[in-house]
Amino acid sequence: MERSLVERLIAKPELGPLVLLVLLLAVFTAINPAFMSAQNISNAFTFTVELGLIALAMTLLMTSGEFDLSVGSVFGFSAVLMWTLFNTGLMPMGVAFLAAMAMAMFIGWVNGMLVTKEGIPSFLVTLGMLLVVRGTALYTTQGFPQNTWRAEDQWLAEVLVGDVTIFGLRLYMSMFWFALAAIVTHYVLTQTKVGNWIQASGGNSNAARARGVPVNRVKIILFMFSSAMAAFAGIISSIRTQAANPNSGTGYELEVIAMVVIGGTVLTGGRGTIIGTVLGIFILRFMRNGIVMIGVPGLAYNIFIGGIILAMMVLHNRIERRHMTGT
Amino acid sequence: MAEDLIRMEGITKHYGKVQALTNVDFTVHPNEIVGLLGDNGAGKSTLIKVLSGAEPLTSGDIFIKGRKVTMKSTADAIANGIETIYQDSALVPQLSIARNLFLGREPTKGFNRMNQEAMNQVARDLLKKVGITKNIPPTTPIGSLSGGERQAVAIARAMHFDSDLIILDEPTNNLGVAETQGVLRFVRGARDSGHSCIFIAHNIHHVFQVVDRIVVMRRGTIAADDIDPKKMSIAEVEDVITGETH
Ligand SMILES: Nc1ncnc2c1ncn2[C@@H]1O[C@H](COP(=O)(O)OP(=O)(O)OP(=O)(O)O)[C@@H](O)[C@H]1O
Ligand SMILES: [Mg+2]
Repeated sequence: MERSLVERLIAKPELGPLVLLVLLLAVFTAINPAFMSAQNISNAFTFTVELGLIALAMTLLMTSGEFDLSVGSVFGFSAVLMWTLFNTGLMPMGVAFLAAMAMAMFIGWVNGMLVTKEGIPSFLVTLGMLLVVRGTALYTTQGFPQNTWRAEDQWLAEVLVGDVTIFGLRLYMSMFWFALAAIVTHYVLTQTKVGNWIQASGGNSNAARARGVPVNRVKIILFMFSSAMAAFAGIISSIRTQAANPNSGTGYELEVIAMVVIGGTVLTGGRGTIIGTVLGIFILRFMRNGIVMIGVPGLAYNIFIGGIILAMMVLHNRIERRHMTGT
Repeated sequence: MAEDLIRMEGITKHYGKVQALTNVDFTVHPNEIVGLLGDNGAGKSTLIKVLSGAEPLTSGDIFIKGRKVTMKSTADAIANGIETIYQDSALVPQLSIARNLFLGREPTKGFNRMNQEAMNQVARDLLKKVGITKNIPPTTPIGSLSGGERQAVAIARAMHFDSDLIILDEPTNNLGVAETQGVLRFVRGARDSGHSCIFIAHNIHHVFQVVDRIVVMRRGTIAADDIDPKKMSIAEVEDVITGETH
């Protein structure tokens, strides 16, 4: 029953993605040394954290046995909402930001209520929500991007995406937010009572309920968290790119879910890992970036991503089976 | 005689048109293992589902230590000291033994942080107490335990949180000889530390090995409720179950 250190390491779901990430970095750098340049790393990081923030929240949500397809639309909608409120002079930027975040949490709450109280699968609920939210963003803006040029001298913009240069590496505040969120979510999932409840809700919700775990409340809060993170990421992105486009974030839900499952979190719930998700985030990011840098046509990107997802799923599945049968 | 731990009076249960229980009276005394026997469809599972809050009753009353209770959910029943152990459903396979033991009542030490050392220590002690001789680390996920070991964990949990009544519905199904003996030992262990049990099994030999009293159900009613396994033979009890008279 006692296992050796090596055996325990192999059973860890994070090992596969870690090996893959190291391999990717090695191959890309061997083919094009510029891949490891400070400039390139910093570029890759910047965009990473926006999807990464959503992936962290999605990890918790998926561990509890649900997932959220509406994050991409909330990503686009929230930025549009904040900038519309600000540009029309209705609110100062800080208040507009809070209003957009509150709206996102409301969307998450509706998702959570429909899933837990009505018993509709999260696939259907959040697919419907995706269309409603994206449709609202497109309709209210008539499809036009919102002006964001006045962000420059706003303190909020500084706090969210301001940058500092350390050792020639340009670092954005958003990276700090991402690191903080990663540490907090990792702590919550592995160390806390709430983390135990999240895993139990996804692992066996009836057993959890019988022990008095408020399964529905756990899931509703995680839906709200996932929406809030999507909104936060969308707003950061809009300030960074100086564009609040009602179409932005399209397809992000699938990329985020890919990051999470590559990292070893189980789609059906019960087992999740933030470390794995962080690895998954970097794998997809460096893939996208590296493929272009070594001269593979960017259009081929999806072939590689799809291949990696399939390979990792087979790997995780095997580890999971070994793990559970205890052999 | 001490006060009854559990008293069910005039319990009737319909599933739509099916009448699964008709006017059933059933009691469990403190510190007693009751064997509940009956053919397929006799109503044993239904009776304990009603008692454990998994199914609402159609009519009748349930008293715990003389106090009338209504059980709306399994969580209600557990809060009232009634714990039901199914082979799989009561545990979370992905979580460790210790985390399952304390699920919903995790001890914390600030910032919602679980006291995992304390949980593991208690888990280790409990596994020993319940009679698991193999050295299983408390951090082992439930999913990698055998059926008998899982039930041992569930029984250990019930004992630790002082459930008055532990219900086992066919706990020895699909278990090998050694595992079955293990479960029977856990059940005896629970009684010896002051808990009561309801033990349901089709294997009469298993029932005879552990119970203090046998209750027989037939077609939704009680056919006999005070059989002393020391005073009746297995063959005689089998006749009561099938309803044959000689
Ligand atoms: N959910 C349900 N819906 C409809 N009828 C049910 C349901 N559960 C049980 N019944 C019926 O109630 C009666 C009693 O079933 P129960 O499961 O209590 O029997 P049992 O004594 O546990 O049998 P077994 O030994 O086969 O487990 C049976 O006629 C069964 O078909
Ligand atoms: Mg039954």
